Amino acid sequence: MVMNISIATDPAPNLNAVFAALADPTRREILSRLADGEASVNDIAAPFAMSQPAISKHLKVLEKAGLVTRAVERQKRPARLNAKPMQDAAAWLETFRDFWLGSFDQLDSLLADLKPEEGTKT
Amino acid sequence: MTEHPVYILEREFSAPRDLVWRTWTEPDLLAQWYGPGVETIIHELDVKPGGRWLNEMKMGENSGYQKSVYTEVSPPERLVMLMSTTDASWELAANPRMPDWPATLLTVVTFEEAGGVTTMRLEWSPHEATAAEIACFAGAVESLGQGWGAGMEMLAKVLAEMQAAA
Repeated sequence: MVMNISIATDPAPNLNAVFAALADPTRREILSRLADGEASVNDIAAPFAMSQPAISKHLKVLEKAGLVTRAVERQKRPARLNAKPMQDAAAWLETFRDFWLGSFDQLDSLLADLKPEEGTKT
Repeated sequence: MTEHPVYILEREFSAPRDLVWRTWTEPDLLAQWYGPGVETIIHELDVKPGGRWLNEMKMGENSGYQKSVYTEVSPPERLVMLMSTTDASWELAANPRMPDWPATLLTVVTFEEAGGVTTMRLEWSPHEATAAEIACFAGAVESLGQGWGAGMEMLAKVLAEMQAAA
């Protein structure tokens, strides 16, 4: 809707994949885990009641969205968080929020201007 | 993923509800507050079920267009509309940078007054959206807006670490 006003400043080319990846609670948990440092699939899977292949699948989605990178040269292929796409995604939603909060500020001033004209209302 | 992700913004205004209602339903008032830093031109405002709000936002050479169709109008309490981004001829148009952002958002605005203060609450949810649109909206709202409170904190932390390392 109002997002078209941000075209000029929106830096992210592939936010669809980022948002789709973030929509899943398990994947968000994985990202939280990786925020504390890189981890192998084993480590990541440990707290989940989920098979390793299932976790690998989630990791692939995160990788495709650019949120996670995996070391190719090391045997365990530890995954690490890449926060840049999240930052871009956050900027997108912030644009939406800022549009409305900015509008609300203007509405606040408008109401302040209008109120005296309302006369006797208390 | 939640079936119907909802994004909510709420704000209090120290003004009577009737007055706040008017700022949504009278074009000269609506144009004064809607859209920060842009020139808002209201081409049509017909606040009744099935009526339309055709809105242009000018930023220098460029304009953004929005169409809203009202589905419920209950003065001075509740306003429900379907808001869409459109092209200049008011036909639905996806954002090229974000094709899966929902084309139409069901927007519910409610007004509650207590002691001369009006609480205005806006709720957005995808309307007749594709699975991809719902996922996109859910990802944005649940991970970054509400629901996953840790998301933004985590992001801030990681970015700080990245900057420290750079």
